[in-house]
Amino acid sequence: MRDKLIFSPWFALAPVLILVSVLLGASLVYGVAQSLGLMSVIGQNTLSLDAYRNILSGQGPAGGEFWGSLVFSLWVSITSTIVSSALALLVAVWLAERRAGSGNVDTLALNWNLAFPHLVWAVALLLFLSQSGLLSRWAATLGLIQTPADFPVLVRDSYGIGIILHYVSKEIPFLALIILAVLRAQPAGYDLIAENLGASRWQRLRYVTLPLVMPSLISGALLVFAFIFSSYEVPALLGVDYPRMLPVLALRFFNDPDLHARADGMAISLVITVIVLIVAAVSIKKGEQ
Amino acid sequence: MKRFVFLFVIFATVLSACAPNATTQPVPPRQADPATVQSASTAAPTFAPGQFDINNWDSVLAAAKGQTVNWYIWGGSDSINSFVDNFYGKALKERYSITLNRVPVADTVDAVNQVLSEKQAGKDPGVVDLIWINGQNFFTLKQANLLYPDWAQKIPNAKLVNWDNPAINLDFGTTVNGLESPWSSAQFQFVYDSARIKASDLPHSYAELKTWACANPGRFTYVSPAETGGFLGTSFVKGALYEISGGAAQWQKFDQATWDKWSPELWNYLNAIKPCLWRKGATYPKDEAELKSLLANNEVDFSMTNDITGAGTSIANGLLPKTARAFVFNTDMIGNFNYVAIPSNAPHKAAALVLANLLLEPEFQADQILPENGFGLGYAIDVNRVTDPAALSTLQTASTKLGDSATPASDLAKSLVGDSAAQYQNLVEQGWVTNVLQGK
Repeated sequence: MRDKLIFSPWFALAPVLILVSVLLGASLVYGVAQSLGLMSVIGQNTLSLDAYRNILSGQGPAGGEFWGSLVFSLWVSITSTIVSSALALLVAVWLAERRAGSGNVDTLALNWNLAFPHLVWAVALLLFLSQSGLLSRWAATLGLIQTPADFPVLVRDSYGIGIILHYVSKEIPFLALIILAVLRAQPAGYDLIAENLGASRWQRLRYVTLPLVMPSLISGALLVFAFIFSSYEVPALLGVDYPRMLPVLALRFFNDPDLHARADGMAISLVITVIVLIVAAVSIKKGEQ
Repeated sequence: MKRFVFLFVIFATVLSACAPNATTQPVPPRQADPATVQSASTAAPTFAPGQFDINNWDSVLAAAKGQTVNWYIWGGSDSINSFVDNFYGKALKERYSITLNRVPVADTVDAVNQVLSEKQAGKDPGVVDLIWINGQNFFTLKQANLLYPDWAQKIPNAKLVNWDNPAINLDFGTTVNGLESPWSSAQFQFVYDSARIKASDLPHSYAELKTWACANPGRFTYVSPAETGGFLGTSFVKGALYEISGGAAQWQKFDQATWDKWSPELWNYLNAIKPCLWRKGATYPKDEAELKSLLANNEVDFSMTNDITGAGTSIANGLLPKTARAFVFNTDMIGNFNYVAIPSNAPHKAAALVLANLLLEPEFQADQILPENGFGLGYAIDVNRVTDPAALSTLQTASTKLGDSATPASDLAKSLVGDSAAQYQNLVEQGWVTNVLQGK
């Protein structure tokens, strides 16, 4: 009986679970309280839904930007997720096909990119792709464009291209590794049999490989979506002032000099949290199936 | 079983690491014994260790002796960091046996949030002793009633400060009330590269600026007034408002009708100039550093600064070419002061007071304006109030050494105007977002 208790995974996870739930749980409770207008330092001790009303009604400084930011966040997150999933699938299938020999080198090449923190990668993109960046200067030196300012606006642009470029380049290796793990765990036989039975390359991808990797690809993609949707530093670095992604907007109002405006920032954060939690729940459900 | 013990040990270690270590926490100062305080005012002052009376400066010095003062200060400029360490850090140690712990923050709002969280968690004493603060963050802490009150006019060097000047006793329109003490002064100026533009071609009013910008599309932009580091942008926009409405005077008092009358014309001006701006006004630099790098990269032709040394400090730091120069329009260049404040839960208030007083010493005021020292902001004290002849001559000599890259003092004085009333701050910033940034 005791052994059963000790070896249960929940018991082994208890220390970290307690830590995480205390630390995150407490901040979450505090966050909810603040979004409801609780701020004892300025004598606000009553709960109200004003902050949520502000942002959802589209009125006021925070609300005026909220819906636009939500659409922009969804655009960036969904586009980045779809593009990186599709490219990751191609990369993984290509790598799996030439499985003979070079497996470790492939994995190393993919892992290498994962080692860059997002912040470093974003700054690197900024240095390379901005209008005063390296590529633009090289292009100007080579006479491809007349002045560095003729270089196309790829980062800090109104459509979020820079942010999408960042996430696509960072998430392809991550998703490719997930897919590759599934493909490498399958016997090569499936593909061979299909080929023997006369399946074309496209048919093998469509009817053999895709069904095999789809469950893990979908949960991986949902994870990627949730991550992009809720991250701050990359859109802050590579985005423009308007439209801004939701986390950037939330921090702007959370740091507002007027303490009354901070509830709005916290309410935006909690909207982000709810959306991410829904996506995570779907992802877990998919993973279980 | 072994496994169980192992897990338990890890768990216990983690928990103990989280628990506050009672021995390292600062001990809350005891309340001053009323009898002691009374005797202090009549006979020989005696204070319990760590206790002081602000009206008795010797008691402040005695209490501060051996303390470490935690100064939360914007850390984004290496030259300011080393100026602080080399000038104030040394003097505090040598003269007062106080250790300076400079805590760099990315944005002053971080220090403000630290104090707010401490207050909400009931942590007194906290960790912040002194904050280099701007008008907006001063407003926040004052709103939350978290500032140590009634000291700024009682430190010895307060007599050198002209507290009757509305530019000093109002910080971005919020009354100062002895809650913060000035450190230095600043005035809005433009910076250009004299190797690229002739001085005779410079615009000297907002109207001329519009002509210049549209004759040179993409070569001008301004700092976004909506960002937390965007105070230069706000000064730029307010200056435009002053010019359009015919002067700064009417904006010193808040009047909704005046705002309603002139703000549409302000947005018209800014929207008219927008298509001529860098990136056609789709985005704006978020702070001075970003605008300065655009100038240095030859993407735009003008930057903005509050430094009394003009471009001097940036040149000394290698951020701008040696040919960079500062200039001002003929009028409507907003000047202001910046301050230090002590949170009400500061653990070492005495040391913080000594430091705030040291900032106003004439010798350090003279040091802070010299470009080679790396700070580059102007005097907070009124030079006319300095009676010591040696100190006076140091101050006067220093102000002649600002070099070619600074705006001539006469131009600065001629164009100087005060900031507008506090209520306009939000109207300008939010209105700019709605009408200009998100507008057509």
